[in-house]
Amino acid sequence: MTTRLTRRAFLATGTAASVGLTIRFPLFGAPDAAAAAAFDPSPMLTITPDGLVTVHITKAEMGQGVGTALAQIVAEELEADWKDVRIDYPTANEKYGLMLTGGSWSVNWTFDALSRAGAASRLALVDAAAASWNVPAAECVAERGVVRHLSSGRSLSYGEIVKRVPITKTFSEDDLKKIALKKPADYRVVGKWTPRLDIPDKVTGKAKFGIDTFLPNMVYAKVAYPPTREGATRTAVDDSAAKRVKGYVATVALPDLVAVVATSYEAAVKARDALKVTWDPGPNASVSTESIFAKFSQAKDDPALQSWHEVGDVKTAMGSAAKRHEATYMTDYVAHMQMEPMNCVASFKDGVFDVYTGSQFQTFAVGTLAAVLKTDAKNIRLHQHYLGGGFGRRLEPDIMVETALIAREVKRPVKLIRSREEDLRRDFYRSATLQVVRAALGADGKPVAWDNTLVASHPGRRWGPDFVDKKGLDQFALNGADHVYAIPNQIVRAIPVETGISVGYVRAVAPNYTFFAVETFMDELAKLAGVDPLQYRLSLLGDAPRLARVLKLAAERANWGAPLPPNTGRGLACVSAQEKKTPTWTASVVQARVDPASGNVQVEKITCAVDCGIVVNPDGARSQIEGSLLFGVSNALKERGTVANGALVQSNFHDYQVLRMNEVPEIEVHLVESTEYPTGLGEPGTTTVAPALSNAIFAATGARVRQVPLLPDRVLAALRAKA
Amino acid sequence: MATLLINGKSRTVDADPDTPLLWVIRERLQLTGTKFGCGMAQCGACTVHLDGQPVRSCQTTVAQAAGKKITTIEGLHPEGRHPVQLAWVAEQVPQCGYCQSGQIMSAAALLAKNPNPSDAQIVDAMSGNICRCATYPRIKRAIKRAAQQGG
Repeated sequence: MTTRLTRRAFLATGTAASVGLTIRFPLFGAPDAAAAAAFDPSPMLTITPDGLVTVHITKAEMGQGVGTALAQIVAEELEADWKDVRIDYPTANEKYGLMLTGGSWSVNWTFDALSRAGAASRLALVDAAAASWNVPAAECVAERGVVRHLSSGRSLSYGEIVKRVPITKTFSEDDLKKIALKKPADYRVVGKWTPRLDIPDKVTGKAKFGIDTFLPNMVYAKVAYPPTREGATRTAVDDSAAKRVKGYVATVALPDLVAVVATSYEAAVKARDALKVTWDPGPNASVSTESIFAKFSQAKDDPALQSWHEVGDVKTAMGSAAKRHEATYMTDYVAHMQMEPMNCVASFKDGVFDVYTGSQFQTFAVGTLAAVLKTDAKNIRLHQHYLGGGFGRRLEPDIMVETALIAREVKRPVKLIRSREEDLRRDFYRSATLQVVRAALGADGKPVAWDNTLVASHPGRRWGPDFVDKKGLDQFALNGADHVYAIPNQIVRAIPVETGISVGYVRAVAPNYTFFAVETFMDELAKLAGVDPLQYRLSLLGDAPRLARVLKLAAERANWGAPLPPNTGRGLACVSAQEKKTPTWTASVVQARVDPASGNVQVEKITCAVDCGIVVNPDGARSQIEGSLLFGVSNALKERGTVANGALVQSNFHDYQVLRMNEVPEIEVHLVESTEYPTGLGEPGTTTVAPALSNAIFAATGARVRQVPLLPDRVLAALRAKA
Repeated sequence: MATLLINGKSRTVDADPDTPLLWVIRERLQLTGTKFGCGMAQCGACTVHLDGQPVRSCQTTVAQAAGKKITTIEGLHPEGRHPVQLAWVAEQVPQCGYCQSGQIMSAAALLAKNPNPSDAQIVDAMSGNICRCATYPRIKRAIKRAAQQGG
């Protein structure tokens, strides 16, 4: 082992300014050279003397297949042999930069950096091999994990180079930027069918999720949660009965947390149930769905509304128009309902907290834990596991904070598993929303003015000042309302409303409800103008040719315009989700049948066309689109969180229903071949479903449903309103 | 104390007779392939076989399981190569993977009873298993593939 590396650490500023943070994404840095038994050219990969390339995945694996996709990106430029590529999910560390998984950002944020890390590593390996042969590097090529000198036929595998040859080449930030990356036509790994590396362990039960953690001497905790989602305070705790439960270990009563600890999960449940906690339910004790929507209805006329997106002069254009239209859209609370209930294992020893869970936002979690536990971030070791579903729920560190606080009190490793009921009641829901959209049409039937008032709770306000803009608005509560249609005068006004019900980010986030309003309203305008909804949209997509293309493709493949049986209709929607700056152009046609007697809606088929630029893993991409569409069907048809007495009414899968196999429509996915820079796939499909389905119901029946979920009683009400 | 026959081995555990089998399997025996999802037989993540029949282990007590052959995902096939498992890989079914042990146990039980199920029979047998990632189309394809290969 003679690898002697003279590497210079540096950090490159990433491109994720959209979250309002300065993100420093490490590119080609320097771990401890003394420990260089392996080649660690970047915090993102290690090449060991056995020739294995391990790509360190700092994004959460929650079903997207992100590890495989990111490893493919590295392997492509590294010219690694795919069979030698491994992945791991390292413990959180500053050297990995911002550790955040969400927003369909993973490939989009890292494609360039990982490509350059792979390419620079390859160049360093070629340079080392060439030097060992005393030939110019330009006469050597790297292919499938081997460097060859073309004229002499000599070769060295990557493993042999790491084992025997000094690797000395370093790269400045400018050097990295100057590396010529491969052209998509030359890709051998990216864009090729590649089975996911995490799947084999997920069919045998070997895959380890956070809930599968065990530590020696571990005990189980259960928390006594308050009766309202926010604002309750504890007035008394009586643990005399809990103490008599077999297996009881301790009661932990902290200012904001009451828990019992026992030797088994069942004993902890029994002891917690035996605790007598008296609560003052606080100011939200009478908050209900009705009171929240009444508050929203007032807020829509509040003078405190702020302009978030503005083009031209809406007021003047609205006044002089030939035709006007207005509609109000509402959406209910949605829960994450990830299959793995929130859980965590934590231990506290010698001043260090070891925390075991699956996290989507390690940077935030470590910072929050350090602040709450009043310790330095270096004393928090957050060990990453597979996530049994994330969907935004595991952005939140709440379960980690609870577990670490309890572990510090009992001085033994603690496992905390929420029941499904607790998981649902302590969720951070997608906000209920109310949107009022008004438009004015010109003489040609096209909109000349567009005015959208958007009332919702904004999750970023809870997270802190980095997550809202100067006006206090969270863009992740608003994205999508700034659609790409060519309308000369537009305004989107917003107001964040506190309700006493905690909100967070749920898969596809704001574009779920913003595009529901935008795309349903667009159909209403097409109707008013007397133009086919497809042609109407296309006439307004001159500035978004890639969106026009997927819209035409989806419509064509779905036989748009062909006759259908009675009470059956097609609806379409097209979106620039998740963000206007980095959109994945997505269009869906939903075909649905409505039972006019019951109001039941059956989704028969979804035809979806997607242009996300370069597709890294084509089958993984399809899997994500299929899943995102069906998540959208579940949201659009079934999921309604209601509130009473300051808390969610629903408690488990029997009363908060999600999509099951018997409700799955036929799905057809068309991916546009492209060499454009890649964008994300985990969410955009979801956002197309509710509007396309609402439009399909209109096409089938002439009834307009403006409230999601599109429940049978709402469909019936719309049918009656039409009649 | 209770004695359970799990994956061909006799295991004695210190648990009350009314303890859900799920918690004994997962937290005492650390056979963690079986998952906790809802605790009320609504989601199917905890599905195991009891004398070959699929049951929800969260609603099965230790007393009910005693004396019966319990099979978990770890015991479905010695090398994890049951035709259903192979089909799951071939069709690249799992996303997050958390529900998939339960899906696979339900599918294996279906095929053991009905080697060539129709679409309707597949839907009927599998609609008790929730997949929040909604891998349902692939689950259906994988069951058909396994059926063709004698699952």
